[in-house]
Amino acid sequence: MSHSSLPLEPAKPKTPGGAASLLAALGRSTAAMLVLSGIGFLLLWQVISMNVSPVILPAPADVFVAFIALTASGELVSATLATIWPFAIGLVLGFVVGTVMGLLLGIYRPAARVLDPYIFVGWSIPNIAWLPLFIAWFGVGNLTLIIFVFISAVFPQLLTVEAGAKEADSFLVEVARSLGGHKREILYNVVLPSSLPYIMAGLRIAVGRALVGIIVGQLLIVATGIGYMFQFYGETLSLAKYFAPLIVIAVLAILLNRGVNWAERFFIPWKNRAFT
Amino acid sequence: MRELDFRHVRKGYESPAGGLLVALEDFTLTVDSGRFVTVVGPSGCGKTTLLRMAAGLVPSDDGGLIRIDGEPLAGPSPKMSMVFQGIGLMPWKSIFDNVALGLQLQAHRSKLTGDERERIAATLALVGLTGFERYYPHQLSGGMQQRVGLARALVRQPEILLMDEPFGALDAQTRAVLQDELLEIWNRVKSTVLFITHDLDEAIYLSDRVVIMSRRPGRIKQVLEVNLPRPRFSYDARAEPEFARLRSIAWQSIKEEL
Repeated sequence: MSHSSLPLEPAKPKTPGGAASLLAALGRSTAAMLVLSGIGFLLLWQVISMNVSPVILPAPADVFVAFIALTASGELVSATLATIWPFAIGLVLGFVVGTVMGLLLGIYRPAARVLDPYIFVGWSIPNIAWLPLFIAWFGVGNLTLIIFVFISAVFPQLLTVEAGAKEADSFLVEVARSLGGHKREILYNVVLPSSLPYIMAGLRIAVGRALVGIIVGQLLIVATGIGYMFQFYGETLSLAKYFAPLIVIAVLAILLNRGVNWAERFFIPWKNRAFT
Repeated sequence: MRELDFRHVRKGYESPAGGLLVALEDFTLTVDSGRFVTVVGPSGCGKTTLLRMAAGLVPSDDGGLIRIDGEPLAGPSPKMSMVFQGIGLMPWKSIFDNVALGLQLQAHRSKLTGDERERIAATLALVGLTGFERYYPHQLSGGMQQRVGLARALVRQPEILLMDEPFGALDAQTRAVLQDELLEIWNRVKSTVLFITHDLDEAIYLSDRVVIMSRRPGRIKQVLEVNLPRPRFSYDARAEPEFARLRSIAWQSIKEEL
């Protein structure tokens, strides 16, 4: 048996000498590119802030000082914690419910035909329109906040997974049937794994929506956490401090995105990536 | 006994225009135990429909009867395995797990016994894939993927093997190699084989009997007995005058249907 048909390691490119090689090396190093672009971004920020009032755009150094001060006082940490836990509960619930319902509706099409219009309407109504209703039903508190995050996450998850389960390769289902597979075995061995890329794609959207949900919710419902910091420092025009929660959200978003990337590689190792 | 028997089997589909499209008409054939029988015919003669009915994937129309060892067929049978032209490996399962699936869905049990693990390893060795257990299908060539498809079928120790143009998508060299390997394996496992192809050379080279179909609605037109000595991979069977004679008869017969 020849192994020639197996993928081979690509040949390492030859390195040219001198400054060109340094640039080429930098171009290949993702870390170096990130550092360089970060420095460029801060420089640009500094230059602009020197030419406008600090009420319009504070200097990076002022933002850094404010960030340290808010961290040291504990305000930023407690606000972050107050944000993360309702976010996490709402997102996990939305992910689980959306995935399970999406799979079931993808398989049991008669049920889907009845429920799809409701789901579509639920998805189409802007989240913010639910808020007065939720406040009337569940009061002003973390319960309403969690439900708001849940609603933000569950619809994109459900719709994406349902589409994936519906598209499960009918040929592979037939192969499994020919081997004697019962409905439950086919669900577990064919439909569920073939839906995994969709489950992950849904999660990516759900994470973003849930993040918007938690900030908007905290701004408008409970007046706590990161969302409230935006409101407070925005209204008092303390822009240097306003950037601190912004940085927290940015870091959180990056970490979550990394987490989804990792989950994709872990759960979908067979997926061919055309671009890496 | 591992006999596959068709009695007046018929299959019609509703056409999009509303009429009835008959794919297969009055198909009566007995595939005797341990024999290698191939069905050839022009496209649309219902040969794939025939195999899908034999696999229990689609029911035949009322009035017809498909029996295994005298028992009427009711859905996919654990005594049978099917090999598909499109192979149909699960992209998310390793080669080992793809072959294991053949056993798991036969026994309706996901946990493998030690014996079963050994049987999977032995089957992979039989098709020449030892060492590839942990690969995923997309890492293998088409020919190797079809070897996995064959292993998934063989690991079930099927009494009847159904093969739907299994080598149709492969290049000529790979196809010739796999034909010889199939004959060698069949020589050992002695399953009854019902094979579908549109390649006359392949049909004559592999089979004890070649069933030639008419164009739609497909009926049996002619049955050729192939008496070339076995094992045929041990000599150049395709160069025998008898091979040429059969090929000429079959081609004349098929040509009228094109």
